[in-house]
Order: sequence, then C-alpha cells, then structure tokens
Amino acid sequence: MSVTTPMPRDGDLLCYCTDLTVGELRLACEDGRWPLADKIRTGKLCTGCVGDLLYLLRRFGAVAALP
Amino acid sequence: MSSNLSALLSATFYEAGHRHVVELVHQRDEASRRRLASLDLSAWDAGGKLRAEVSVDPRDETLDLDTLLAGHAQGERLMVTFDARYDVRIFPYRPHHYAWLHRRGSASAPLYYAVNAVLGGVPDRIGATALNNFETYVFLRRPVAERYAVLVGNVSRFSTAEAQVFTYYVGGARLTQRVELGPKAHVEVALPEQHDGARLERVEVKALFRLATYVMGRHATSGDLLLYDHMFTYFK
Repeated sequence: MSVTTPMPRDGDLLCYCTDLTVGELRLACEDGRWPLADKIRTGKLCTGCVGDLLYLLRRFGAVAALP
Repeated sequence: MSSNLSALLSATFYEAGHRHVVELVHQRDEASRRRLASLDLSAWDAGGKLRAEVSVDPRDETLDLDTLLAGHAQGERLMVTFDARYDVRIFPYRPHHYAWLHRRGSASAPLYYAVNAVLGGVPDRIGATALNNFETYVFLRRPVAERYAVLVGNVSRFSTAEAQVFTYYVGGARLTQRVELGPKAHVEVALPEQHDGARLERVEVKALFRLATYVMGRHATSGDLLLYDHMFTYFK
C-alpha cells in the first residue's frame, strides 16, 4: 500500500514541547534565522518530532544550520 | 488559538472486539472539573492510511473507542492519536489520558493503563534529564501472559522511523529485530518467550525519536488480553 507524504502546512504544530509550528520553521529557514533563540530545544525534549524536524530542515534548505 | 495553550499528542491502539474506554482527564476533584481546550482523535491503519478523524467535545469525560472506530477498523488494528490542547494554568503539568480495556466475552480481568504521551510529553518549562526514545519493559519473574508482543507506531507526519527491538533473556542472551515504519504506520512485533530455554526478561525499543509503544500479552490459546502497558524511559 502506498501512502502519500502530506504537504507541510504552516499552521500545523511541529514541536509539541516548544510550540514551534511548521510555518515558523519555514520562515526562520527562509530568513536564515534558524535556530530561533526561543526554540533552541526543539526536538530535544520529548524527541518525538526529531524525524519531522530533520525532514523539514532539509526541505526548507537549512540542514547546515542544525544545532 | 490562545498562546496560553499547550499541546500533547498521545497514542494507543484499537482493535475491534474490545471494549476500550479512554478517560480524557484523570481526576477525582468533583468540585472543580478540569477540561481540555480541545481534543482531536485520528485513527490510522497499519500502513499509515487515515481511517477516521473526530473532533471530540472536550466536555466529554470519556471516549468509547469501540463506538467511534468499530465501523472504520474493518477488522484491522488502528493506531489512535489524541491531539489535546490545554491551558497550562488549568493543568500545571500536563493532562493524562487513561484507558480501560477489555476483550468482549473474556473471563480475564479488564486492564487499566496510562495512554502513551508521544509528542509534548516533556514541555520546555519542565525540561528533560534523560533520553526518552530508548524505552524498556521488565517482565515479571512469573509471566502473566503466554504470548508477548510490542506494538510500535510512528506518529510522524513525514519521517520514516527505524527502530530496533531487543529482547533479553535470563543468562544474558539478546535477540534483535528491526522495523521500519512510514509516517503513521504501525506494527506488532512478536517477542519469543524463550531463547535456548531461557525466559524472556525484558524488552527494549530504540529509535532516533520517540515512538508510540506498548507491551502486549495474550493467553496463548484463548487470545485473551492479559497485559497492555506502555514502556518506560530507559535509565542506566
């Protein structure tokens, strides 16, 4: 069975621990501001969003800025 | 949505033929009932295909998964996610969902368990002191079930998860199974109860990021559910 990967939606919550949305991450990557100062622990707390965070950082072209 | 709201995504697994009732908020204070701001339920088949989406009235105290999902399961197991939004002034730590589970017609006792918090279990204000993507479960010396398995689900939207399931046996032997799960996919991994005559002692699940995991035990012949419990963060 094939399942299509959904398109990222700006309003979706990405990190449930730091309240980072997909849109906030996208804008930060586009502006070269990732990682945002108040979201520095994104992906490091419950760790559940790490996979999606890495996927979106690659998609938004900011892998080199990964903390 | 108010910026005061925090979020928690919990997950469990539903199978037809079981009574499965989830408490939205576990509390005993009749004088001041606490409510979630919102709760959205979604259910996914083993391949990660969405089968159901329900916006729940947060004034409800319990959810009957069998009523909500029996028509969507088509005889298959579904991973069920609960996306809760809540006010941190009402829930200083986080809301917990608990659930009551019983196979219809079974003479075995019902099971009561804490629903696994997968996303947002460690809010920034609390901090984290240990990895929680390594989880373990230690079995009783006298086993309560005759067939064990772990249920592993990937709640990611985009990312495939690779996990290793280790089983440890009395005397130190270890077996390894590997699973790869696409977004929202899930699988049951059977755990051999013995290896070279040695009893199963514990199981570990390791992955790059936290997954939805439960240990499940069934009676070998009747299939009655005897154990259903989330795993525990690995400390060493």
